[in-house]
Amino acid sequence: MIETIHLSKRYGSLRALSDLNLRIEQGKVFGFIGPNGAGKTTTMQILSTLLEPSEGQAFVCGYDVMKEPADVRQSIGYMPDFFGVYDNLTVREYLDFYAGAYKIPANKRNALIADLLELVNLSNKVDAYVDSLSRGMQQRLGLARCLVHDPAVLILDEPASGLDPRARIELREILKQLRAMGKTILISSHILPELAELCDEIGVIEQGRLIACGALDDVSVRARGITLMLVRTLTNRHQAGHVLSQCPLVKDLEEQEDGFRFRFVGGEAEKAQLLQELVNAGATVTYFGESSENLEAVFLAITEGVGG
Amino acid sequence: MRDFLSNPILVKELRERFRTKRTVWILTLFLLIMGGIPLGLLLISPSSAGTLGENGELFLISAAIHYAMICFVVPALTAGAISGERERQTLNILLTTQLSPRTIVWSKLVTSLAFTSLLLTASMPLYSLVMLYGNVSPEQVVKLVLFFAVNILFLGSLGLFCSTWIKRTAVSTITAYGIAFCFVVGTGLLFFFLGEILQQIDPERYSQAVVWSLPELQILAGINPVIVLFAILDDSLMPSVEFAFTPWLFFCLLLPGAERAVHAVERISAETGAAQVVELEEAPGSCTIGRV
Repeated sequence: MIETIHLSKRYGSLRALSDLNLRIEQGKVFGFIGPNGAGKTTTMQILSTLLEPSEGQAFVCGYDVMKEPADVRQSIGYMPDFFGVYDNLTVREYLDFYAGAYKIPANKRNALIADLLELVNLSNKVDAYVDSLSRGMQQRLGLARCLVHDPAVLILDEPASGLDPRARIELREILKQLRAMGKTILISSHILPELAELCDEIGVIEQGRLIACGALDDVSVRARGITLMLVRTLTNRHQAGHVLSQCPLVKDLEEQEDGFRFRFVGGEAEKAQLLQELVNAGATVTYFGESSENLEAVFLAITEGVGG
Repeated sequence: MRDFLSNPILVKELRERFRTKRTVWILTLFLLIMGGIPLGLLLISPSSAGTLGENGELFLISAAIHYAMICFVVPALTAGAISGERERQTLNILLTTQLSPRTIVWSKLVTSLAFTSLLLTASMPLYSLVMLYGNVSPEQVVKLVLFFAVNILFLGSLGLFCSTWIKRTAVSTITAYGIAFCFVVGTGLLFFFLGEILQQIDPERYSQAVVWSLPELQILAGINPVIVLFAILDDSLMPSVEFAFTPWLFFCLLLPGAERAVHAVERISAETGAAQVVELEEAPGSCTIGRV
Protein backbone atom coordinates (compact mmCIF):
# COMPACT_ATOMS: atom_id res chain seq x y z
CA MET A 1 0.00 0.00 0.00
CA ILE A 2 2.92 2.32 0.84
CA GLU A 3 6.40 1.62 -0.46
CA THR A 4 9.57 3.66 -0.59
CA ILE A 5 12.68 2.54 -2.44
CA HIS A 6 16.03 4.16 -1.59
CA LEU A 7 14.20 7.39 -0.81
CA SER A 8 16.44 10.37 -0.01
CA LYS A 9 15.91 14.08 0.44
CA ARG A 10 18.53 16.80 0.70
CA TYR A 11 18.12 20.46 1.59
CA GLY A 12 21.36 21.88 0.25
CA SER A 13 24.08 20.14 2.22
CA LEU A 14 21.64 18.86 4.85
CA ARG A 15 20.54 15.27 4.30
CA ALA A 16 17.03 15.09 5.77
CA LEU A 17 16.31 11.57 4.58
CA SER A 18 18.76 8.90 3.58
CA ASP A 19 18.06 5.70 1.65
CA LEU A 20 14.68 4.97 3.22
CA ASN A 21 13.24 1.59 2.30
CA LEU A 22 9.80 1.06 3.73
CA ARG A 23 6.88 -1.22 2.96
CA ILE A 24 3.51 -0.93 4.67
CA GLU A 25 0.85 -3.48 3.76
CA GLN A 26 -2.85 -2.71 3.35
CA GLY A 27 -4.81 -2.32 6.57
CA LYS A 28 -1.73 -1.98 8.76
CA VAL A 29 -1.09 0.82 11.22
CA PHE A 30 2.52 1.89 10.98
CA GLY A 31 4.02 4.06 13.72
CA PHE A 32 6.90 6.34 12.94
CA ILE A 33 9.10 7.06 15.93
CA GLY A 34 11.91 9.56 16.01
CA PRO A 35 13.00 12.83 17.53
CA ASN A 36 12.37 16.23 15.94
CA GLY A 37 14.27 16.63 12.70
CA ALA A 38 14.71 12.87 12.24
CA GLY A 39 12.96 12.87 8.85
CA LYS A 40 9.43 11.73 9.76
CA THR A 41 7.69 14.83 8.40
CA THR A 42 9.89 14.87 5.29
CA THR A 43 8.89 11.27 4.53
CA MET A 44 5.22 12.05 5.07
CA GLN A 45 5.40 15.13 2.88
CA ILE A 46 7.03 13.18 0.06
CA LEU A 47 4.29 10.56 0.32
CA SER A 48 1.69 13.37 0.28
CA THR A 49 3.15 14.82 -2.96
CA LEU A 50 4.19 18.02 -1.19
CA LEU A 51 7.90 17.40 -1.56
CA GLU A 52 9.97 16.07 -4.39
CA PRO A 53 12.52 13.44 -3.30
CA SER A 54 16.15 14.04 -4.24
CA GLU A 55 16.63 10.34 -5.00
CA GLY A 56 14.61 7.16 -4.92
CA GLN A 57 10.98 6.35 -5.48
CA ALA A 58 7.82 6.33 -3.40
CA PHE A 59 4.54 4.61 -4.15
CA VAL A 60 1.13 4.95 -2.50
CA CYS A 61 -1.56 2.44 -3.49
CA GLY A 62 0.66 1.52 -6.42
CA TYR A 63 0.85 5.11 -7.72
CA ASP A 64 4.22 6.79 -8.12
CA VAL A 65 4.20 10.05 -6.11
CA MET A 66 6.26 11.77 -8.79
CA LYS A 67 4.54 10.47 -11.91
CA GLU A 68 0.95 10.12 -10.73
CA PRO A 69 0.50 12.78 -8.03
CA ALA A 70 -3.22 13.32 -8.70
CA ASP A 71 -3.95 9.62 -8.13
CA VAL A 72 -1.82 9.65 -4.98
CA ARG A 73 -3.72 12.68 -3.64
CA GLN A 74 -7.01 10.92 -4.25
CA SER A 75 -5.72 7.89 -2.30
CA ILE A 76 -4.45 9.70 0.78
CA GLY A 77 -5.78 11.76 3.63
CA TYR A 78 -2.98 13.94 4.98
CA MET A 79 -3.01 15.66 8.35
CA PRO A 80 0.07 17.82 9.03
CA ASP A 81 1.50 18.29 12.51
CA PHE A 82 0.32 21.90 12.60
CA PHE A 83 -2.59 23.14 10.56
CA GLY A 84 -4.89 26.13 10.70
CA VAL A 85 -8.57 26.50 10.07
CA TYR A 86 -10.51 29.12 8.16
CA ASP A 87 -12.24 31.90 10.06
CA ASN A 88 -15.89 32.58 9.50
CA LEU A 89 -16.71 29.08 8.27
CA THR A 90 -18.96 26.66 10.10
CA VAL A 91 -17.99 23.01 10.55
CA ARG A 92 -20.42 22.02 7.79
CA GLU A 93 -19.04 24.64 5.39
CA TYR A 94 -15.46 23.65 6.21
CA LEU A 95 -16.09 20.02 5.27
CA ASP A 96 -18.20 21.09 2.30
CA PHE A 97 -15.25 23.14 1.03
CA TYR A 98 -12.90 20.17 1.14
CA ALA A 99 -15.55 17.88 -0.34
CA GLY A 100 -15.71 20.34 -3.23
CA ALA A 101 -11.92 20.38 -3.44
CA TYR A 102 -12.05 16.60 -3.95
CA LYS A 103 -14.78 17.05 -6.56
CA ILE A 104 -17.44 15.20 -4.58
CA PRO A 105 -20.90 15.95 -6.11
CA ALA A 106 -22.85 18.57 -4.15
CA ASN A 107 -25.92 16.30 -3.72
CA LYS A 108 -23.85 13.70 -1.83
CA ARG A 109 -22.11 16.08 0.54
CA ASN A 110 -24.76 16.56 3.24
CA ALA A 111 -25.03 12.84 4.01
CA LEU A 112 -21.27 12.46 3.84
CA ILE A 113 -20.66 15.35 6.23
CA ALA A 114 -23.24 13.96 8.69
CA ASP A 115 -21.51 10.55 8.63
CA LEU A 116 -18.05 12.03 9.12
CA LEU A 117 -19.15 14.22 12.01
CA GLU A 118 -20.80 11.22 13.60
CA LEU A 119 -17.53 9.29 13.31
CA VAL A 120 -15.50 12.02 15.00
CA ASN A 121 -18.19 12.84 17.58
CA LEU A 122 -18.81 16.38 16.35
CA SER A 123 -22.41 16.04 15.16
CA ASN A 124 -23.55 18.59 17.72
CA LYS A 125 -21.07 21.16 16.37
CA VAL A 126 -22.21 21.10 12.76
CA ASP A 127 -23.21 24.78 12.75
CA ALA A 128 -20.48 26.03 15.08
CA TYR A 129 -17.73 28.21 13.65
CA VAL A 130 -14.54 26.23 13.15
CA ASP A 131 -12.33 28.76 14.93
CA SER A 132 -14.55 28.52 18.02
CA LEU A 133 -13.78 24.78 18.48
CA SER A 134 -11.25 23.56 21.03
CA ARG A 135 -7.88 22.23 19.86
CA GLY A 136 -9.02 18.64 20.35
CA MET A 137 -12.20 19.25 18.38
CA GLN A 138 -10.27 20.95 15.59
CA GLN A 139 -7.95 17.95 15.48
CA ARG A 140 -10.92 15.60 15.17
CA LEU A 141 -12.40 17.85 12.52
CA GLY A 142 -9.04 17.67 10.72
CA LEU A 143 -9.35 13.90 10.80
CA ALA A 144 -12.87 14.13 9.35
CA ARG A 145 -11.45 16.40 6.66
CA CYS A 146 -8.86 13.72 5.82
CA LEU A 147 -11.65 11.20 5.33
CA VAL A 148 -13.90 13.35 3.17
CA HIS A 149 -12.93 11.52 -0.06
CA ASP A 150 -12.72 8.09 1.62
CA PRO A 151 -8.98 7.56 1.10
CA ALA A 152 -7.42 4.14 1.51
CA VAL A 153 -4.36 5.60 3.26
CA LEU A 154 -4.14 8.08 6.11
CA ILE A 155 -0.91 9.98 6.75
CA LEU A 156 -1.09 11.54 10.18
CA ASP A 157 1.83 13.65 11.35
CA GLU A 158 1.82 13.98 15.15
CA PRO A 159 -1.99 14.00 15.39
CA ALA A 160 -1.93 13.98 19.19
CA SER A 161 0.49 16.85 19.65
CA GLY A 162 -0.84 19.66 21.82
CA LEU A 163 -3.87 17.69 22.96
CA ASP A 164 -4.91 17.18 26.56
CA PRO A 165 -5.18 13.56 27.84
CA ARG A 166 -8.93 13.32 27.25
CA ALA A 167 -8.63 14.60 23.68
CA ARG A 168 -5.78 12.13 23.08
CA ILE A 169 -7.90 9.23 24.25
CA GLU A 170 -10.80 10.37 22.05
CA LEU A 171 -8.48 10.63 19.06
CA ARG A 172 -7.00 7.22 19.75
CA GLU A 173 -10.47 5.65 19.88
CA ILE A 174 -11.30 7.18 16.49
CA LEU A 175 -8.04 5.85 15.05
CA LYS A 176 -8.94 2.39 16.33
CA GLN A 177 -12.27 2.67 14.50
CA LEU A 178 -10.44 3.66 11.33
CA ARG A 179 -8.12 0.69 11.69
CA ALA A 180 -11.18 -1.53 12.04
CA MET A 181 -12.50 0.02 8.81
CA GLY A 182 -9.42 -1.29 7.02
CA LYS A 183 -7.61 2.00 6.49
CA THR A 184 -3.85 1.87 6.14
CA ILE A 185 -2.45 4.41 8.59
CA LEU A 186 0.99 5.95 8.76
CA ILE A 187 1.23 7.83 12.03
CA SER A 188 4.00 9.62 13.84
CA SER A 189 3.94 10.62 17.45
CA HIS A 190 6.07 11.67 20.35
CA ILE A 191 3.66 9.98 22.72
CA LEU A 192 5.26 6.59 22.29
CA PRO A 193 3.01 4.47 24.53
CA GLU A 194 0.05 5.57 22.43
CA LEU A 195 1.66 4.15 19.31
CA ALA A 196 2.42 0.91 21.10
CA GLU A 197 -1.26 0.33 21.68
CA LEU A 198 -2.31 1.31 18.19
CA CYS A 199 0.39 0.15 15.80
CA ASP A 200 0.92 -3.19 14.07
CA GLU A 201 4.39 -2.16 12.99
CA ILE A 202 6.81 0.55 13.95
CA GLY A 203 9.75 2.23 12.30
CA VAL A 204 12.42 4.03 14.26
CA ILE A 205 14.00 6.88 12.33
CA GLU A 206 16.95 8.95 13.44
CA GLN A 207 18.99 11.50 11.47
CA GLY A 208 17.18 10.59 8.27
CA ARG A 209 17.92 6.86 8.51
CA LEU A 210 15.50 4.07 9.34
CA ILE A 211 17.36 2.20 12.02
CA ALA A 212 14.73 -0.36 12.97
CA CYS A 213 11.51 -1.45 11.35
CA GLY A 214 9.05 -4.29 11.68
CA ALA A 215 6.26 -5.75 13.78
CA LEU A 216 6.20 -4.35 17.27
CA ASP A 217 7.31 -7.62 18.85
CA ASP A 218 10.12 -8.11 16.33
CA VAL A 219 11.63 -4.71 16.89
CA SER A 220 10.82 -4.79 20.48
CA VAL A 221 12.48 -5.18 23.58
CA ARG A 222 12.29 -8.90 24.05
CA ALA A 223 14.08 -9.55 20.76
CA ARG A 224 16.78 -7.13 21.78
CA GLY A 225 16.79 -8.26 25.38
CA ILE A 226 15.98 -4.81 26.69
CA THR A 227 12.84 -4.05 28.64
CA LEU A 228 11.64 -1.01 30.51
CA MET A 229 10.57 -2.53 33.81
CA LEU A 230 8.51 -1.35 36.75
CA VAL A 231 8.78 -2.85 40.27
CA ARG A 232 6.44 -1.90 43.13
CA THR A 233 6.92 -3.04 46.70
CA LEU A 234 4.71 -2.83 49.78
CA THR A 235 7.48 -2.97 52.38
CA ASN A 236 11.30 -3.12 52.53
CA ARG A 237 11.63 -0.69 49.68
CA HIS A 238 15.22 0.06 50.70
CA GLN A 239 16.29 -3.60 50.30
CA ALA A 240 14.59 -3.80 46.93
CA GLY A 241 16.50 -0.71 45.81
CA HIS A 242 19.75 -2.26 47.00
CA VAL A 243 19.14 -5.53 45.10
CA LEU A 244 18.27 -3.65 41.91
CA SER A 245 21.28 -1.33 42.12
CA GLN A 246 23.59 -4.34 42.58
CA CYS A 247 22.19 -6.24 39.60
CA PRO A 248 24.47 -5.79 36.53
CA LEU A 249 21.51 -6.31 34.18
CA VAL A 250 19.66 -3.27 35.57
CA LYS A 251 20.38 0.04 33.79
CA ASP A 252 19.21 3.60 34.40
CA LEU A 253 17.53 2.79 37.72
CA GLU A 254 15.11 5.49 38.83
CA GLU A 255 13.29 5.51 42.17
CA GLN A 256 9.88 7.07 41.75
CA GLU A 257 6.87 7.52 44.00
CA ASP A 258 5.09 4.45 42.67
CA GLY A 259 8.15 2.20 42.55
CA PHE A 260 11.37 1.57 40.63
CA ARG A 261 11.75 2.05 36.87
CA PHE A 262 14.75 0.69 35.02
CA ARG A 263 15.95 -0.78 31.73
CA PHE A 264 16.57 -4.50 32.07
CA VAL A 265 19.10 -6.11 29.74
CA GLY A 266 18.19 -9.75 29.87
CA GLY A 267 15.73 -12.47 29.00
CA GLU A 268 12.86 -14.13 30.86
CA ALA A 269 15.15 -16.38 32.94
CA GLU A 270 17.15 -13.40 34.22
CA LYS A 271 13.91 -11.59 35.07
CA ALA A 272 12.72 -14.57 37.11
CA GLN A 273 16.07 -14.67 38.92
CA LEU A 274 15.87 -10.96 39.74
CA LEU A 275 12.36 -11.40 41.15
CA GLN A 276 13.61 -14.29 43.25
CA GLU A 277 16.45 -12.12 44.62
CA LEU A 278 13.99 -9.34 45.51
CA VAL A 279 11.76 -11.79 47.40
CA ASN A 280 14.79 -13.36 49.14
CA ALA A 281 15.89 -9.88 50.26
CA GLY A 282 12.55 -9.52 52.06
CA ALA A 283 10.88 -7.07 49.68
CA THR A 284 7.10 -7.54 49.42
CA VAL A 285 6.76 -7.20 45.66
CA THR A 286 3.29 -6.15 44.52
CA TYR A 287 4.15 -5.56 40.86
CA PHE A 288 7.00 -6.85 38.72
CA GLY A 289 6.56 -6.31 34.98
CA GLU A 290 6.98 -4.19 31.89
CA SER A 291 6.29 -0.51 32.14
CA SER A 292 3.67 1.10 29.90
CA GLU A 293 6.41 3.32 28.45
CA ASN A 294 8.00 0.28 26.87
CA LEU A 295 8.21 1.77 23.41
CA GLU A 296 10.30 4.57 24.83
CA ALA A 297 12.75 1.93 25.97
CA VAL A 298 12.84 0.51 22.46
CA PHE A 299 13.46 3.95 21.05
CA LEU A 300 16.17 4.77 23.58
CA ALA A 301 17.84 1.40 23.14
CA ILE A 302 17.80 1.48 19.37
CA THR A 303 18.90 5.07 18.99
CA GLU A 304 21.62 4.72 21.60
CA GLY A 305 24.86 5.75 19.97
CA VAL A 306 23.25 6.91 16.70
CA GLY A 307 24.87 10.16 15.71
CA GLY A 308 26.75 10.20 18.93
CA MET B 1 -19.97 28.53 -16.03
CA ARG B 2 -21.59 26.10 -13.59
CA ASP B 3 -18.16 24.65 -12.78
CA PHE B 4 -16.84 28.14 -12.28
CA LEU B 5 -19.60 29.08 -9.85
CA SER B 6 -19.26 25.82 -7.90
CA ASN B 7 -15.49 26.27 -7.53
CA PRO B 8 -14.99 25.55 -3.79
CA ILE B 9 -12.37 28.28 -3.32
CA LEU B 10 -14.67 30.92 -4.82
CA VAL B 11 -17.54 29.86 -2.56
CA LYS B 12 -15.34 29.74 0.53
CA GLU B 13 -13.58 33.04 -0.13
CA LEU B 14 -16.82 34.88 -0.82
CA ARG B 15 -18.40 33.39 2.29
CA GLU B 16 -15.41 34.39 4.40
CA ARG B 17 -15.07 37.87 2.91
CA PHE B 18 -18.69 38.92 3.04
CA ARG B 19 -19.29 37.61 6.55
CA THR B 20 -16.82 39.95 8.19
CA LYS B 21 -17.70 43.41 9.42
CA ARG B 22 -14.44 44.60 7.91
CA THR B 23 -15.94 44.26 4.43
CA VAL B 24 -18.81 46.58 5.32
CA TRP B 25 -16.39 49.07 6.84
CA ILE B 26 -14.10 49.03 3.78
CA LEU B 27 -17.08 49.62 1.47
CA THR B 28 -18.45 52.41 3.68
CA LEU B 29 -15.07 54.11 3.98
CA PHE B 30 -14.44 53.82 0.26
CA LEU B 31 -17.77 55.46 -0.58
CA LEU B 32 -17.32 58.13 2.07
CA ILE B 33 -13.95 59.12 0.65
CA MET B 34 -15.12 58.87 -2.95
CA GLY B 35 -18.19 61.01 -2.32
CA GLY B 36 -16.93 63.15 0.53
CA ILE B 37 -13.94 64.79 -1.16
CA PRO B 38 -15.75 66.10 -4.28
CA LEU B 39 -18.70 67.24 -2.15
CA GLY B 40 -16.33 68.90 0.30
CA LEU B 41 -14.63 70.76 -2.54
CA LEU B 42 -18.00 72.02 -3.76
CA LEU B 43 -18.84 73.21 -0.26
CA ILE B 44 -15.49 74.99 0.08
CA SER B 45 -15.84 76.65 -3.31
CA PRO B 46 -19.54 77.66 -3.72
CA SER B 47 -18.74 79.46 -7.01
CA SER B 48 -17.84 76.11 -8.59
CA ALA B 49 -21.04 74.59 -7.29
CA GLY B 50 -23.05 77.04 -9.35
CA THR B 51 -21.37 76.21 -12.65
CA LEU B 52 -23.61 73.33 -13.67
CA GLY B 53 -22.69 71.90 -17.06
CA GLU B 54 -19.35 73.70 -17.20
CA ASN B 55 -17.25 72.35 -14.34
CA GLY B 56 -14.95 69.59 -15.63
CA GLU B 57 -12.71 69.78 -12.56
CA LEU B 58 -15.09 67.67 -10.52
CA PHE B 59 -14.75 64.80 -13.00
CA LEU B 60 -10.98 65.15 -12.89
CA ILE B 61 -10.87 65.14 -9.09
CA SER B 62 -13.29 62.21 -8.79
CA ALA B 63 -11.37 60.13 -11.32
CA ALA B 64 -8.02 60.89 -9.63
CA ILE B 65 -9.38 59.94 -6.19
CA HIS B 66 -10.94 56.82 -7.67
CA TYR B 67 -7.65 55.78 -9.20
CA ALA B 68 -5.72 56.51 -5.99
CA MET B 69 -8.18 54.37 -4.03
CA ILE B 70 -7.80 51.51 -6.52
CA CYS B 71 -4.00 51.68 -6.19
CA PHE B 72 -4.36 51.65 -2.42
CA VAL B 73 -6.98 48.90 -2.04
CA VAL B 74 -6.22 46.33 -4.76
CA PRO B 75 -2.64 45.28 -3.81
CA ALA B 76 -3.73 45.04 -0.17
CA LEU B 77 -6.57 42.68 -1.09
CA THR B 78 -4.45 40.31 -3.16
CA ALA B 79 -1.01 40.49 -1.54
CA GLY B 80 -2.11 38.16 1.27
CA ALA B 81 -4.07 35.68 -0.81
CA ILE B 82 -1.50 32.87 -1.01
CA SER B 83 0.91 33.97 1.73
CA GLY B 84 -2.11 34.16 4.06
CA GLU B 85 -2.87 30.50 3.37
CA ARG B 86 0.78 29.71 4.06
CA GLU B 87 0.79 31.68 7.33
CA ARG B 88 -2.47 30.09 8.40
CA GLN B 89 -0.92 26.67 7.68
CA THR B 90 -3.73 25.69 5.36
CA LEU B 91 -1.76 25.74 2.09
CA ASN B 92 -0.22 22.28 2.56
CA ILE B 93 -3.64 20.76 3.05
CA LEU B 94 -5.03 22.62 0.05
CA LEU B 95 -2.20 21.29 -2.11
CA THR B 96 -3.01 17.69 -1.24
CA THR B 97 -6.54 18.05 -2.63
CA GLN B 98 -7.51 17.73 -6.28
CA LEU B 99 -7.28 21.51 -6.79
CA SER B 100 -4.46 22.44 -9.14
CA PRO B 101 -2.14 25.37 -8.31
CA ARG B 102 -3.59 27.15 -11.35
CA THR B 103 -7.13 26.81 -9.98
CA ILE B 104 -6.01 28.06 -6.58
CA VAL B 105 -4.24 31.13 -8.03
CA TRP B 106 -7.05 32.02 -10.44
CA SER B 107 -9.76 31.55 -7.81
CA LYS B 108 -7.89 33.80 -5.40
CA LEU B 109 -7.55 36.47 -8.10
CA VAL B 110 -11.20 36.26 -9.11
CA THR B 111 -12.48 36.59 -5.53
CA SER B 112 -10.20 39.53 -4.80
CA LEU B 113 -11.22 41.23 -8.04
CA ALA B 114 -14.89 40.52 -7.32
CA PHE B 115 -14.67 42.61 -4.18
CA THR B 116 -12.76 45.40 -5.94
CA SER B 117 -15.35 45.34 -8.70
CA LEU B 118 -18.01 45.73 -6.03
CA LEU B 119 -16.20 48.83 -4.76
CA LEU B 120 -15.97 50.19 -8.31
CA THR B 121 -19.62 49.44 -9.11
CA ALA B 122 -20.86 50.84 -5.79
CA SER B 123 -19.03 54.12 -6.43
CA MET B 124 -20.18 54.58 -10.03
CA PRO B 125 -23.48 56.31 -9.05
CA LEU B 126 -21.30 59.12 -7.67
CA TYR B 127 -20.48 59.94 -11.27
CA SER B 128 -24.11 60.99 -11.79
CA LEU B 129 -23.25 64.00 -9.64
CA VAL B 130 -20.12 64.56 -11.73
CA MET B 131 -22.09 64.32 -14.94
CA LEU B 132 -24.41 67.01 -13.61
CA TYR B 133 -21.50 69.42 -13.63
CA GLY B 134 -20.79 68.54 -17.23
CA ASN B 135 -17.76 68.76 -19.46
CA VAL B 136 -17.76 64.96 -19.53
CA SER B 137 -18.77 62.80 -22.44
CA PRO B 138 -20.29 59.33 -21.96
CA GLU B 139 -17.40 58.05 -24.08
CA GLN B 140 -14.92 59.38 -21.50
CA VAL B 141 -16.79 57.64 -18.67
CA VAL B 142 -16.71 54.33 -20.59
CA LYS B 143 -12.97 54.75 -21.26
CA LEU B 144 -12.43 55.57 -17.60
CA VAL B 145 -14.26 52.42 -16.45
CA LEU B 146 -12.21 50.33 -18.87
CA PHE B 147 -9.03 52.02 -17.63
CA PHE B 148 -9.96 51.25 -14.01
CA ALA B 149 -10.81 47.63 -14.88
CA VAL B 150 -7.44 47.11 -16.56
CA ASN B 151 -5.63 48.66 -13.59
CA ILE B 152 -7.56 46.50 -11.13
CA LEU B 153 -6.62 43.39 -13.12
CA PHE B 154 -2.97 44.37 -13.29
CA LEU B 155 -2.58 45.51 -9.68
CA GLY B 156 -4.52 42.43 -8.51
CA SER B 157 -2.20 40.14 -10.47
CA LEU B 158 0.82 42.01 -9.13
CA GLY B 159 -0.38 41.57 -5.52
CA LEU B 160 -1.06 37.89 -6.13
CA PHE B 161 2.35 37.44 -7.72
CA CYS B 162 4.03 38.97 -4.65
CA SER B 163 1.87 36.80 -2.40
CA THR B 164 2.98 33.67 -4.26
CA TRP B 165 6.57 34.75 -4.45
CA ILE B 166 7.10 36.04 -0.90
CA LYS B 167 6.50 34.02 2.23
CA ARG B 168 5.14 36.66 4.60
CA THR B 169 2.03 38.72 3.94
CA ALA B 170 3.47 41.94 5.42
CA VAL B 171 6.57 41.77 3.19
CA SER B 172 4.47 40.74 0.21
CA THR B 173 2.14 43.73 0.71
CA ILE B 174 5.02 46.19 1.03
CA THR B 175 6.68 44.75 -2.09
CA ALA B 176 3.42 44.94 -4.05
CA TYR B 177 2.97 48.59 -3.01
CA GLY B 178 6.61 49.31 -3.90
CA ILE B 179 6.32 47.82 -7.39
CA ALA B 180 2.96 49.55 -7.92
CA PHE B 181 4.53 52.86 -6.85
CA CYS B 182 7.40 52.39 -9.34
CA PHE B 183 4.85 51.66 -12.03
CA VAL B 184 2.45 54.51 -11.27
CA VAL B 185 4.87 57.23 -10.18
CA GLY B 186 8.29 55.96 -11.28
CA THR B 187 7.52 55.65 -15.00
CA GLY B 188 5.94 59.12 -14.98
CA LEU B 189 8.93 60.71 -13.26
CA LEU B 190 11.29 58.91 -15.63
CA PHE B 191 9.29 60.25 -18.57
CA PHE B 192 9.52 63.85 -17.31
CA PHE B 193 13.16 63.63 -16.25
CA LEU B 194 14.28 62.13 -19.54
CA GLY B 195 12.36 64.78 -21.50
CA GLU B 196 13.78 67.61 -19.41
CA ILE B 197 17.35 66.19 -19.54
CA LEU B 198 17.20 65.89 -23.34
CA GLN B 199 16.00 69.49 -23.59
CA GLN B 200 18.83 70.66 -21.32
CA ILE B 201 21.51 68.70 -23.22
CA ASP B 202 20.55 69.72 -26.73
CA PRO B 203 17.87 72.45 -26.73
CA GLU B 204 18.05 72.95 -30.48
CA ARG B 205 17.63 69.32 -31.46
CA TYR B 206 15.17 68.47 -28.68
CA SER B 207 12.86 71.44 -28.58
CA GLN B 208 9.71 71.50 -26.44
CA ALA B 209 7.63 70.46 -29.44
CA VAL B 210 9.94 67.64 -30.50
CA VAL B 211 11.07 66.05 -27.26
CA TRP B 212 7.62 64.92 -26.03
CA SER B 213 6.93 63.34 -29.40
CA LEU B 214 9.94 61.03 -29.36
CA PRO B 215 8.68 57.43 -29.82
CA GLU B 216 10.69 56.15 -26.83
CA LEU B 217 9.19 58.77 -24.52
CA GLN B 218 5.74 58.20 -25.96
CA ILE B 219 5.94 54.49 -25.14
CA LEU B 220 7.09 55.40 -21.62
CA ALA B 221 4.16 57.81 -21.35
CA GLY B 222 1.82 55.17 -22.73
CA ILE B 223 2.58 52.73 -19.93
CA ASN B 224 2.23 55.34 -17.19
CA PRO B 225 -1.32 55.16 -15.84
CA VAL B 226 -1.39 58.76 -14.59
CA ILE B 227 -0.48 60.20 -17.99
CA VAL B 228 -2.99 57.90 -19.66
CA LEU B 229 -5.64 58.92 -17.13
CA PHE B 230 -5.06 62.61 -17.87
CA ALA B 231 -5.11 61.83 -21.59
CA ILE B 232 -8.54 60.23 -21.14
CA LEU B 233 -9.68 63.28 -19.20
CA ASP B 234 -8.30 65.62 -21.92
CA ASP B 235 -6.50 67.58 -19.27
CA SER B 236 -3.99 70.28 -20.07
CA LEU B 237 -1.92 69.71 -16.90
CA MET B 238 0.30 67.27 -18.76
CA PRO B 239 2.97 68.34 -21.24
CA SER B 240 1.71 68.52 -24.78
CA VAL B 241 2.44 64.94 -25.77
CA GLU B 242 1.27 64.36 -29.29
CA PHE B 243 0.69 60.62 -29.10
CA ALA B 244 1.27 58.74 -32.33
CA PHE B 245 -1.12 56.09 -30.93
CA THR B 246 -4.28 56.08 -28.85
CA PRO B 247 -2.86 56.11 -25.29
CA TRP B 248 -5.75 54.43 -23.45
CA LEU B 249 -5.97 51.69 -26.07
CA PHE B 250 -2.20 51.10 -25.93
CA PHE B 251 -2.39 50.97 -22.13
CA CYS B 252 -5.41 48.65 -22.11
CA LEU B 253 -3.70 46.22 -24.49
CA LEU B 254 -0.29 46.37 -22.83
CA LEU B 255 -1.32 45.80 -19.21
CA PRO B 256 -3.38 42.65 -19.75
CA GLY B 257 -0.30 41.40 -21.63
CA ALA B 258 1.82 42.15 -18.57
CA GLU B 259 -0.84 40.55 -16.37
CA ARG B 260 -0.68 37.37 -18.48
CA ALA B 261 3.10 37.37 -18.12
CA VAL B 262 2.76 37.68 -14.34
CA HIS B 263 0.37 34.72 -14.30
CA ALA B 264 2.70 32.70 -16.50
CA VAL B 265 5.46 33.24 -13.92
CA GLU B 266 3.08 32.30 -11.11
CA ARG B 267 2.02 29.18 -12.95
CA ILE B 268 5.55 28.14 -13.76
CA SER B 269 6.62 28.55 -10.15
CA ALA B 270 3.50 26.70 -9.06
CA GLU B 271 3.75 23.75 -11.41
CA THR B 272 7.47 23.13 -11.49
CA GLY B 273 7.54 23.17 -7.70
CA ALA B 274 10.96 24.79 -7.98
CA ALA B 275 10.97 25.44 -4.28
CA GLN B 276 8.15 23.64 -2.70
CA VAL B 277 5.85 24.68 0.04
CA VAL B 278 7.59 22.78 2.71
CA GLU B 279 10.98 24.02 1.72
CA LEU B 280 9.52 27.49 1.98
CA GLU B 281 8.70 26.83 5.56
CA GLU B 282 12.01 25.26 6.34
CA ALA B 283 14.25 27.57 4.35
CA PRO B 284 13.37 31.19 5.11
CA GLY B 285 13.47 33.48 2.13
CA SER B 286 12.56 30.99 -0.53
CA CYS B 287 9.01 30.95 -1.66
CA THR B 288 6.38 29.91 -4.11
CA ILE B 289 3.26 27.85 -4.19
CA GLY B 290 4.16 24.38 -5.27
CA ARG B 291 4.10 20.65 -4.91
CA VAL B 292 5.26 17.64 -6.87
